[in-house]
Amino acid sequence: MRLVYREYGQLVYAVAHHVLGRHELAEEATQQTFVRAWQAADRVHIDRDPAPWLATIAKRVAIDIYRREARRPAQPSADVVSMVDRGRALMMQSTDPDSLDAVWRVRNAIDELSVDEASVVRLQHLDGLTHTEIADKLGIPLGTVKSRSHRAHQRLTDLLGSLRKEVR
Amino acid sequence: MTERMTNHERETLIAGDRVSALEPDEAAELPLLAALLADPTTWAEPSAGLEDSIVHAVMNDQPWEATVTAISDRRRRTRRRTRIIIPTTAAAAAAAIAIVVGSIVASSGGPGPDFTAALAPTGLAPGAHGSAEVVHNNGGFRIVLDATGLERLPDGTYYEAWLKDAAGTLVPIGTFSSSDQYIALWSGVSPATFTTLTVTIEPPDNNQASSGRVVLVGDVRSG
Repeated sequence: MRLVYREYGQLVYAVAHHVLGRHELAEEATQQTFVRAWQAADRVHIDRDPAPWLATIAKRVAIDIYRREARRPAQPSADVVSMVDRGRALMMQSTDPDSLDAVWRVRNAIDELSVDEASVVRLQHLDGLTHTEIADKLGIPLGTVKSRSHRAHQRLTDLLGSLRKEVR
Repeated sequence: MTERMTNHERETLIAGDRVSALEPDEAAELPLLAALLADPTTWAEPSAGLEDSIVHAVMNDQPWEATVTAISDRRRRTRRRTRIIIPTTAAAAAAAIAIVVGSIVASSGGPGPDFTAALAPTGLAPGAHGSAEVVHNNGGFRIVLDATGLERLPDGTYYEAWLKDAAGTLVPIGTFSSSDQYIALWSGVSPATFTTLTVTIEPPDNNQASSGRVVLVGDVRSG
């Protein structure tokens, strides 16, 4: 189970977090996913890639938890309100398997990058930094940032392209 | 102040050298991929304790609420050093589920095992050693055996684990062929009574009794 978790845990968590928007709920969904997978493991062909199967369970579990949370009496907590709003906003995506497959694919592709490459991509896309700012932040030459960025995005493109039809 | 990347620049970065050669469906996905790369949830990491919690939950098949309490308790109290289990080989994706079915890894999270055993080698396997953790649940006693140094056996020959009581009664708890992975065993009898755990080498002779060729032995103690 540890091996399976280490292979797919972050992917499952990313999908759950994308749907639920809260760390604690995403961890709950991740755990439920692996427990359900465990309970159903004897019905899985061992020769097949378990990724699509786990992705399906993860999506269902996350959506179930979202629905459970949405049914709970409203609390005047900004956190809960924010979560529900986010959940509503994402519901269209949540019920669209393609969107959650995209989360799975992107996270999987990120995990395939080297730590240095992933760091540059994260600073670019998540933090919105330019090459120059990243070079300053990491204390590395601008050329190194550019080459890592180019290499990382080329790899992401390759991975996302090849993964396009695999998860579904 | 430096200008931030625009969405178009993000999409161009993702498309890379193929930007002008994308298929229509690929091009249509670019905004979503760019949005996902900019979404904090895509980069979020589960907490370090989640792995232990999941293994523990699987071993006990317990509801999440109980595990939440366990996690919270663990965070509150001083962390004890947990054993980090590193797989000796990279798990191929296709083999992962087989490993799930065949070998459950011992958990260091949660309340801990009900019984433990340290296993010492005999003259038949002087380089071997092992340990076992026992968790009692509704299905019986789940025993996770962590043995190393057991030689790979010839085809047909196998290892068999046993629990033995003070009267010498042996109860088989499972067979296996290699100590490369953690071995999941089950017992219907309690290690509180059957207090000795042994591992023997068994020949392919259809004889259900122990061969007596013990390679590992140890006392089971309350956890």
